[in-house]
Amino acid sequence: MSTAKVGASVPGRRGASVPRGLRAWLGRRLTIAPGEPLPQRRLFLLPTRFGLVWIALVAVLLLFGVNYQNSLAYALAFWLAGLAVVVLVRTWRNLLGVTVELQLPREAFVGRESRLRVVIRAARPRTAIGLVLDVHGATLPRLETEATASLPWRTGQRGWQLPPTLRLETSWPLGLVRAVAWVQPTTELLVYPAPLEVAGPERRQLGEGLDATDFAGLRRFERGDSATRVAWKQWSRSGILTTKVFSVPPRQQLWLDYANCRGSPERRLSLLCARVLAHHRAGDRYGLRLPGLELPQGEGESQRRTALDALALFPAATEGADGE
Amino acid sequence: MIDWLVGRRRQPPEVAVLADGHELGAGMLRQLFIGQCLVLALHLIWMPAWLVGLALAVAIWRYFQLRQRVPRAGRLLRLGGVALLLGALWLQYGVLHDMDGLIGLLLGVYLLKLLETHNRRDARVVVVIGIIATSVAFLHEQGILMALGALMALAWLLQSLTRLAGAPDARCAWVEAGWLLLFSAPLMVVLFLAVPRLGPLWSMPQMDRASTGLSDQVSPGDIAQLSRSDARAFRVSFDGEEPATHERYWRVYTLSGTDGRRWFRAPPDELAATLGQSEGAFVREARRSPWVDEAAEAGRFRAELLLEPDSRPWLPSLGTPLASDSEQRYLADGTLERLTSQSSRSLLRLESSGAAPANADPAGDAWNSLLPSQVNPRTRALGEQLWQESGGDKRAFLAAIMAHFGESPFRYTLMPPRLGSRHRVDEFLFESRAGYCTHYASAAATLIRAAGIPARLVVGFLGGERHPDGYFTVRDYDAHAWVEVWLDGAWQRLDPTAAIAPERIELGPQAVEGGAEVFLADSPFSSLRLRELGWVNRLRLRWESLEYQWQRGVIGYQRATAREFMLGLGERLEAGYGWLSTYLRSALWRGAAWLGGTVLGLAGLTWLLRIGLHQRRWRNESDMLGYLRGRLVCLGLGPTSGETPAGHLLRVAPALGSVGAALRTIAEEYERLAYAPLNEAERSAGRRRLRQATKEIGRYLATPRYRARRAGAAGDDVAS
Repeated sequence: MSTAKVGASVPGRRGASVPRGLRAWLGRRLTIAPGEPLPQRRLFLLPTRFGLVWIALVAVLLLFGVNYQNSLAYALAFWLAGLAVVVLVRTWRNLLGVTVELQLPREAFVGRESRLRVVIRAARPRTAIGLVLDVHGATLPRLETEATASLPWRTGQRGWQLPPTLRLETSWPLGLVRAVAWVQPTTELLVYPAPLEVAGPERRQLGEGLDATDFAGLRRFERGDSATRVAWKQWSRSGILTTKVFSVPPRQQLWLDYANCRGSPERRLSLLCARVLAHHRAGDRYGLRLPGLELPQGEGESQRRTALDALALFPAATEGADGE
Repeated sequence: MIDWLVGRRRQPPEVAVLADGHELGAGMLRQLFIGQCLVLALHLIWMPAWLVGLALAVAIWRYFQLRQRVPRAGRLLRLGGVALLLGALWLQYGVLHDMDGLIGLLLGVYLLKLLETHNRRDARVVVVIGIIATSVAFLHEQGILMALGALMALAWLLQSLTRLAGAPDARCAWVEAGWLLLFSAPLMVVLFLAVPRLGPLWSMPQMDRASTGLSDQVSPGDIAQLSRSDARAFRVSFDGEEPATHERYWRVYTLSGTDGRRWFRAPPDELAATLGQSEGAFVREARRSPWVDEAAEAGRFRAELLLEPDSRPWLPSLGTPLASDSEQRYLADGTLERLTSQSSRSLLRLESSGAAPANADPAGDAWNSLLPSQVNPRTRALGEQLWQESGGDKRAFLAAIMAHFGESPFRYTLMPPRLGSRHRVDEFLFESRAGYCTHYASAAATLIRAAGIPARLVVGFLGGERHPDGYFTVRDYDAHAWVEVWLDGAWQRLDPTAAIAPERIELGPQAVEGGAEVFLADSPFSSLRLRELGWVNRLRLRWESLEYQWQRGVIGYQRATAREFMLGLGERLEAGYGWLSTYLRSALWRGAAWLGGTVLGLAGLTWLLRIGLHQRRWRNESDMLGYLRGRLVCLGLGPTSGETPAGHLLRVAPALGSVGAALRTIAEEYERLAYAPLNEAERSAGRRRLRQATKEIGRYLATPRYRARRAGAAGDDVAS
């Protein structure tokens, strides 16, 4: 709400907000969502520079035919013109009806490269379809029914983020026109803060205590359990297949506290992020204290995920309020 | 030849552009080089052979550069290459700005461009120049073979472009290029036929070209060059009467000036300047000959001439030209000239009399009986003697001349002894007595002029080969010279060769004895040499007739023909429309047409509506459910928050009485569609059931019975 007030007071900001609306409208008008076949109305044909050269070529050959009264030169010029028309349709059909699916990476950190997997399906074979995400691109030379590409992109900010718009383009078969379509991802990705490792006294040895050695009990066998962990004796006695469970002795019980870190809020979050990762690797039991939020101590994958989510979603607005 | 361009350090050679998107792979360079070779092959007959050397030199440099033995061609090397090219062209042609020089420059630049071809853009530039060079090749020739060659080159260049656009392999590139050519061919044909043709917009440098060696001056001593060549001069077909063999005298030039050694033509402008008259007295531009009275002479022959490109304006005519289908220059001596030079083949319709002109030469009798006084004294003496003997009867005098040729030991040969003296006609008439048409014609004309009778030489063609299809081909070796004499108020044709070698007139030059070793001496591989061999000759005739049709139909499709074709098409369309409208005017047909049209229109409308509704409402299960839920909300049976769609339907089912079962079906089907792993067939079957149930409910909700019930039970609503 405060941003709206600032926007109203500064005239320059107001001007900038109109194109944003326009952009949103254009975004709705121009893009498709992943998973739906590319319709005609979201497919755009643009001439390439070579296409303009081709038009000039046809004109030159026509002039040549006119001035020398040369029928074959006429025929060649007309054939090139006909080719341009056919190419228009061929290029358009090369992209029409393609279905794009986006697979987000499992997790992403600010400033690190993460990869977006793009799965493309089509009923007919396609040729030379290019994918562009931000500045990185890939080309699928031949697409029979399904193809996959993995495109890198640099995540920008912490929190829920949409991946950038994916551009599909093709100038097959002659490069005279380019068919372009934009795919707007609909699923957001939670981007974690950039981990900031600091060498210091609190950095711990990560070697010992990792093995789960203390017998904790038995549980029902599940598929995938290691054969060495199966309690064969109990099975011979009772006929029920069970698995021995061992617990990892927590090496340390500790709290990661926002208040104990130094620096700007973002730096503190980065530090905390790095420590969450390190403690998780070490198998520690840790809790997280953020202003207005306390995550009880815990361990394992779910604790790591909860902690990282909390760091990613930690509101940046408080910082903005500090600035004011 | 193919493999040696493959670079060593490169990745798979089939990749057109390497992964960085800039550097071209060896495979692509090889493609471009082969394309260059194909385009160069189209030009090679007419252009200097060292261009092949240039192509090879450039390719070898690129090969070693790919192997990193030599660096990239620097600016110095490239400029040096261009300078070398210019120098070589200058040595070859003397000047650079004529057509051959310009074509050589284009080809040279095209070949040299490979030196600086490093990325995709450069490669496309090379292909574009290749297409231009292909079209320039049509200046040399527009025959069937050239068209096929150009098509091959175009296909190759297209598949190079598909490679550049990212074709993964050769098969894919060729298949795509083939489809493109195939799909665009009908478009090309339509455009070719329908686009109106314009005249030349501005003048371009023209190819210096002579379709025949026919010259506008002859000298008895020269070698019979023309009989050595089988080059085609023109082709002709007749509308109506065809001339007999001995009537095929094609007049091209009249030679009225002589210096005793040679006979030369006096062009209208020179003649006008010499005689002090206006040029209009000798030549006029018209569609009809201004020198012949329109009523006096009806044209005997209507010919359609297919003329070879020629930078000189000559036109042949069978006898005196009377009328043409386009504006031409009619000369007073009964010959014809084009307005401009012709850079490509063209068609001309010409009406002519078949006889020598009847109008007097405005240059006057004095000009046409002028002889240099000091030259050929023996011939002049002989002429005067024959004139005395004939006693002033001109016809007897001409017969005496012909008899003189027939009686004396004259012989016809294409290899006469060379005449070197000042008095050439004397030397021929009294010493060598061997020669061909030029010798006899010039001797006869000199004899006639010696008697003070106006006479002139005519050069042109005699004969022509008749094809089974009914058209004639006239070739260089048909060239001929004869005499025209002013007699009884008209010019009369007199062919002294007929007295010596009548078979030349009836059968053509190849029939003359003693000429065999010279005949076609410059065309050792000419298929005409095999005309004795039956099947070869048939094959040749068939090929020539195909070529003739091609030239007439495709190459001759210029302004007039195009207009005629479109007019014809328009007329035919109009006729078809008229036929159709009269046919449909009967009442029965009209009623049937109205009925059919209405039915078709209604069907189309229904179909469109169905499609629209179908798309909007019934496309997938969530749309159908959305529609149903909308209806339920209108009835006050909307979902509560947090309720699943299926749960909602099951809850309100009892309120809808008899269609409650349908609602339960919908709930069940919807859940199955949403969550069960179904294949496509099961899925569409489920959708169909869902659609039927939804429609059933829709119909039920729309019935008056239900509305009445709703109105009655408004107070105690179940869902509220």
